[in-house]
Amino acid sequence: MKKIVRAAAMATLLAATTSVFAQQTLVVNSWGGPYEKLHKELVFEPFEKANNVKIKVVTLYSADTLAQLRAQKANPQYDVVHFSGGQEVIAAREGLLSPIKPAELSHGKDLYPFATEGMARGEGPVHLVTAVGLLFNEKKVTKGPTSWKDVWDSAYGDHLVLTDLSNSFGLLGFLMMNQVWGGSIENTKPGLKKVGELLNRSVIINSSPEVQQNFAQNDAWLAPFSQDYAYIIRKSGQPVKFVMAKEGTPAVYFTANLVANRPNQALAKKLIDFELSPEVQAAFAREMRYSPTNRKTQLTPDVASEVVYGDAVRSLVRFDPVAIDKIRNGLIEDWKKLIAK
Amino acid sequence: MNRLRIDLFISAPGLLLLAVGFLVPAAVILVLGVRDADGAWTSVHLVRFLTDSFYLGIAWRTVKLSLLITAICVVAGTPLAYIMARGGPRLRLWLIVCITLPLMTSVVVRTFGWMVVLGRGGLVPDALKMLGLVNRNYTLMHTETAIVAGMVQVLFPFMVLSILGVVQRIDSRLEEAARVMGCSFLQSLRLVVLPLAVPGIVAGSLLVFTLSASYFITPNLLGGSRLPVLASSIYETATKTLDWQFAGAQSIILLIGVLMLLIVQAKLTRPAHG
Repeated sequence: MKKIVRAAAMATLLAATTSVFAQQTLVVNSWGGPYEKLHKELVFEPFEKANNVKIKVVTLYSADTLAQLRAQKANPQYDVVHFSGGQEVIAAREGLLSPIKPAELSHGKDLYPFATEGMARGEGPVHLVTAVGLLFNEKKVTKGPTSWKDVWDSAYGDHLVLTDLSNSFGLLGFLMMNQVWGGSIENTKPGLKKVGELLNRSVIINSSPEVQQNFAQNDAWLAPFSQDYAYIIRKSGQPVKFVMAKEGTPAVYFTANLVANRPNQALAKKLIDFELSPEVQAAFAREMRYSPTNRKTQLTPDVASEVVYGDAVRSLVRFDPVAIDKIRNGLIEDWKKLIAK
Repeated sequence: MNRLRIDLFISAPGLLLLAVGFLVPAAVILVLGVRDADGAWTSVHLVRFLTDSFYLGIAWRTVKLSLLITAICVVAGTPLAYIMARGGPRLRLWLIVCITLPLMTSVVVRTFGWMVVLGRGGLVPDALKMLGLVNRNYTLMHTETAIVAGMVQVLFPFMVLSILGVVQRIDSRLEEAARVMGCSFLQSLRLVVLPLAVPGIVAGSLLVFTLSASYFITPNLLGGSRLPVLASSIYETATKTLDWQFAGAQSIILLIGVLMLLIVQAKLTRPAHG
């Protein structure tokens, strides 16, 4: 009898301790490569420690994440999803996200207006911004590009790298080139026609890390791509510089969104809030040259000189995500037909 | 009746797994291809595929590359399988190890290996440059040659093992008899071994063809986005443009293509089954 009592006591004790140590889990997506590494180091790992929570990171690009959210609508598997291609607009419209009010976040009041604009539509806040411009190899190219039209300069020979339109950066770069050649979101013919002229002297890549690989191994000289990767490539020792062309620089907003119908929303909101904190944003600016969206973020002068900062983010070109979503599938099909051999 | 019940009972776990894990999901995907957004039956997605020269081109590339890959595997695999079957047990063991060892490595890793070998400054372009055949920036990446090379390496073991199983069962006394009757070695191969090995070759070809028609990771990485094949097109349609209906329609086309091949194979091998 004593034995049974003792065993029962042990079991209760055991159950009690495990429930104390039972961790909550948040499932989030990140985009792989150097960005995900940084994302883990600056956000997920410190947050796990501070809140005794386990964060499961799934490597998934924005478009794929939206696809999964749609498929899981009845039984969502993510708590926080990050988008870079404006997918939050669509996800919010389809009821896949839970709206957050800026007042629910401790950093909500410190955000620049552009970062909270979408929250009224039920989207998450913008936590980082990067820009799409021209990357060039300064050792191989004497005269750096100044205009989007310089991509067509024959001086770059067959050392061009273009990015597939299924990639957010590729899509925005294309829309900018299209605009420069007289097109608009509704009329992408001019851009497709002009990019068609480049195909025989370009390599077309699908994923972001490939741009680095092309500068490192494939003798790339010029690539329309993003500022964050330009910095990563430069840091890895390649003589690659980022240029904002005179016609304008498209902005890429990174948003952190709360998935609807998940049990741990309070904790998930806390994670989103953490991504908006000045310290985290300053570290992202330092490590990969992302523009902060929290106006309290302090940047050291050398970092500040290399990122678009503060209200200047407004000067970046912002293509309307809703308009893009309307033409996206048709454009990607036209693009596939254009590039197929 | 009792016997049937026992059979069913024994196979129930397997059948259940097959139904839940394969039949139902596959059916759901295929049905997507003949439904519109509101769930009404439609053939619009199939028609879209069959009337667009771009998609027909993708289908043709898939068939063409799969045939080429299969042909290379047959030509290279048959002699090897014969040597393995007729060699001593020790040689056979080592050859089987050599053939199956690559299967232990992930396909993705092997494909990355090919990217290094075929890319600019890689082994093959460098060797060609040293021979003075190509210029400095020559690369084999993003060519159909790269897809074929990568796929043959991945699928070769399936062909060899299929043929080996059949050739091993051919009575070697038949060959001896042929030689006694005056056949040369090559004649005995052509007149005796090859006809008897046909079931193995057909089975291997079918396996290699269907696998290469439905493979997407290797063609995607080695061929790049300018050389789409059917499987990579399905993947892109499903994940990039989120057009699941059209992705389902493309899956139907791929499935029908493969099924038609199965029927041909069944017809071809029937005489061999006696």
